[in-house]
Amino acid sequence: MSGDGQPDGATAAQDRPPALELRRLTVSYGARPVLWDVDAAFPAGTLAAIVGPNGAGKSTLLRAALGLVPPDAGQSLVEGRPARAALDRVAYVPQRDAVDWDFPITVREVVEMGRYRAAGWLRRVPRADRELVAEALERVGMTPFADRQIGALSGGQRQRVFIARALAQRSPVMLLDEPFAGVDARTEASLLDLLAQLRSEGRSIVVVHHDIATVRARFDWALLLNVRTIACGPVAETLTAETLRRAYGAAVGDDPEALEEQLWAG
Amino acid sequence: MGWLIDLLPLSYTESVVLVGATVLGVTAGVLGAFAVLRQRSLLGDALSHAALPGVAIAFVATGAKDASSLAVGAAFACLVGAVLVVAIERTGRLRPDTAIGVVLAGFFSLGIVMLTYLANFNNANQAGLDSYLFGQAAGMLLGDVEAMTVLCVLALAAIAVAYKPLKTTLFDTGFAGAAGLPVRAIELAMTAMLVVAVVVGIRTVGAILMVALLIVPTVVARQLTGRLATLLAVAGVTGAAVGATGALISVSSELPTGPVIVLVGFAAATAAVLLAPGRGVAWNARRLLRERRRTLAEGVLIDLETALHAGPPPTAAELTLASGRPASAVRRALRDLDRAGMLAADGDRLRLTDSGAAAAHALIERRELWTLWLEHGWRIELPDAREPDPTDLRASLGDEYADRLVALAGARAEDAR
Amino acid sequence: MSDGATIALTAMLVATACGLLGPFLVLRGQALLSDAVSHAVLPGIVAVFLLFGTRASVPVILGATAFAAICVLGIDAFRNSGLVRADAAIGLVFPTLFALGVIGITSFASGAHIDLDATIYGEIAFTPFRTVDLFGVEVARAIPIVGTVAAVNLALVVALWKELKGTSFDPEFSRTTGFSPAIVSRVLVLAVAVTAVVSFESVGAILVVTLLIVPAAAARMLTDRLALTVAATVAIGWVSALGGYGSAVALDASIAGAMGMVATGCFALALLAAPRYGVLARLAQRRRRRRRVAELLDRAGAA
Repeated sequence: MSGDGQPDGATAAQDRPPALELRRLTVSYGARPVLWDVDAAFPAGTLAAIVGPNGAGKSTLLRAALGLVPPDAGQSLVEGRPARAALDRVAYVPQRDAVDWDFPITVREVVEMGRYRAAGWLRRVPRADRELVAEALERVGMTPFADRQIGALSGGQRQRVFIARALAQRSPVMLLDEPFAGVDARTEASLLDLLAQLRSEGRSIVVVHHDIATVRARFDWALLLNVRTIACGPVAETLTAETLRRAYGAAVGDDPEALEEQLWAG
Repeated sequence: MGWLIDLLPLSYTESVVLVGATVLGVTAGVLGAFAVLRQRSLLGDALSHAALPGVAIAFVATGAKDASSLAVGAAFACLVGAVLVVAIERTGRLRPDTAIGVVLAGFFSLGIVMLTYLANFNNANQAGLDSYLFGQAAGMLLGDVEAMTVLCVLALAAIAVAYKPLKTTLFDTGFAGAAGLPVRAIELAMTAMLVVAVVVGIRTVGAILMVALLIVPTVVARQLTGRLATLLAVAGVTGAAVGATGALISVSSELPTGPVIVLVGFAAATAAVLLAPGRGVAWNARRLLRERRRTLAEGVLIDLETALHAGPPPTAAELTLASGRPASAVRRALRDLDRAGMLAADGDRLRLTDSGAAAAHALIERRELWTLWLEHGWRIELPDAREPDPTDLRASLGDEYADRLVALAGARAEDAR
Repeated sequence: MSDGATIALTAMLVATACGLLGPFLVLRGQALLSDAVSHAVLPGIVAVFLLFGTRASVPVILGATAFAAICVLGIDAFRNSGLVRADAAIGLVFPTLFALGVIGITSFASGAHIDLDATIYGEIAFTPFRTVDLFGVEVARAIPIVGTVAAVNLALVVALWKELKGTSFDPEFSRTTGFSPAIVSRVLVLAVAVTAVVSFESVGAILVVTLLIVPAAAARMLTDRLALTVAATVAIGWVSALGGYGSAVALDASIAGAMGMVATGCFALALLAAPRYGVLARLAQRRRRRRRVAELLDRAGAA
């Protein structure tokens, strides 16, 4: 691993296989499919968003891509390899509701979890990795809070910690599930800056996000999803009035102003 | 109740045990439901351990091992234990299971200390108090059964009277509080009813086995129904059936009643979890497997149709390549399609039979329907909360609305031109 | 070693073995597994007696451990069906196994004086009388046995520290980093089962259940650091063992019961008087906050 903040294999983006590729992915909860025959590819070295209305299957897509949900059919490839075999190349920032906030764990210890895989079973996190942890904390501005208990933080601070944990993994691909939900505007802006910076360092980042305006302004690539793939490609081509109408249908309808609102305000 | 005992074709003692076990089953089944549905199944465990110091205190107070005063002592201690469980939970830092565990351990330790302390004063008299918690079904008297029946009827009547507030509190405590219901009092009442069931049960089947008897009927009933009123009824009937079956088996095999009842209950619960129609593990597994196979076969069918449309009939290998699916999956799907008579053999080239082509077209049409729905669906007002199923829009919305969608899309396309 | 010292040392070793695992059970919402296991082992003990006619330690411990494992796997099976919640799954499985044991005793072994409390489940007061020759020194058998379990648990918790911490706090993330929460959970629960079984034989079931749950619950009230939680749990366990022994002698009451009472007393104290999270501290915090708000409002009104 290089020591200059670059993730492994961060070379020219064009030569690399897609950071994440989904082929014919179908996932159902019960009888009804949440994702139906979804094809999508996220090129390496881009800041990509997964956009779609509520219930479109955005979070499920990430979870299925990581193998946390068993798919009915289809494949998920990370950097060209089956995701299950390539999980060491992925850092995941889950939605935060599954966690026990009262757990006796400090901010630093949470971020250290990002180094667990590198340490392996039964071994301690090596001393040298503490610097990586400190660096990750510094990048999200959480250094002064490193010894706080995780539950003593605000929503935005908790999200910063989880992103720091993903940073500490130093994986070339980062998947973030609704990282800005319940986060104040200032934190969102600074986290977006951070993501952009990571992208320019060569990492590939996929974010589930609901705010189309932000996606248009700050992201390179988008998957517009509503159970099936509506569009997938560079943001400007993907998020057009036509595709948005197809994805959000009822929400924007024929009203050009509502559509505009959906486009710019989110 | 003597008439009922006389009516049964069993010996007097056996009849008493049978009726007692049945009544206990109903009581435990219905009252236990409130604990299980609130995810406090093991409250019964804590309560039955908490009875021990109550028994000791009652013995000290009355100086005799009189069954009813011991039961009152047990009930009192149980209630205090239950209130403490709730109080510990309320402090917010400990989970319900920890609160239950602390009360269980604390009360039982207290009980042991009291019993050994008593033993030092009047050694002979207190002997056997510690076996109170193990229960003695065979020692049941008609009077016990009658007392149990009265308690059971009272508890059931209380549930019937307060059914609505109970249900509201059970389903959504926050809403119940906002609606002005005395939530704490209702929860206390539910707990008090559980105490009644536990105290009745300890005497009969013992503390540990009572835990299962409170849970089994609700687990069974939950697999069979989702409605609270039905669930309570089914739980009561299940409890009665389990109690009666267990008692009959134990009578004929001369095995101890309590444990046999619990084994019967466990068998019933396992059977329900495995086999319950539409919900059981076996049923679910079969459905999931079938669903996966169908999804896969449909996907490959469309791949094949697309390939046939684009060029000459592909070989299985070419199809695999084109579909981007694993080879084994494509092979299995082709086997399924072949079995359904959708594949026509043509050397190693793949073709579709007429029925295969029809199925493929129907599938493609369904997909297009979903695309249409995404684009135009918002224009169509649905009469109720029905929701579109992407894989089968027509079935999920009804023909009327599917047709309307197609017509609307056609008209829009016409306009555009 | 005097009898008193033997009993106290045995209890402290049990408190150590339990205290190392208890915090994880409490944090994972599995506290009642200990009680479940303590009852579920009965058929194992009975079966060993019926099959081999022995109540010797090693076969009994093996038989009991087998049923502890059956209990835990059975609970997992019900829970994984998604149809039965964890608490109900526990309450279905362990009484059933206990019932099997009771049937075994009453129908086949009633003449054999298997009595539920002392003989099977152990009684800590008897530990000094069952001795073993260890390198030429006669020591109570319980001490090397329970000491070994405590040492194994210590090694386990140290070796699996990050795995236990990670999977308890965020199981989903742990899965994506290659640490299966299911495996860690199985190892922990198996360790609890072995600890429970081995300790039952020496000190009785209720004391083990108490030491697995109550000190850990008390420690939860005291600190926000995992390492400190575990340390505090063990320390409270030791206090319970020593204090319990002392008060049992003074009152001439059950030793295990008295130790349980002291542990519960420690818990009550922690619940009420813990520095930050105790009931009193929270009341004081709330009162201070109210007063500050009132002052601010007053000042605003005056200005």
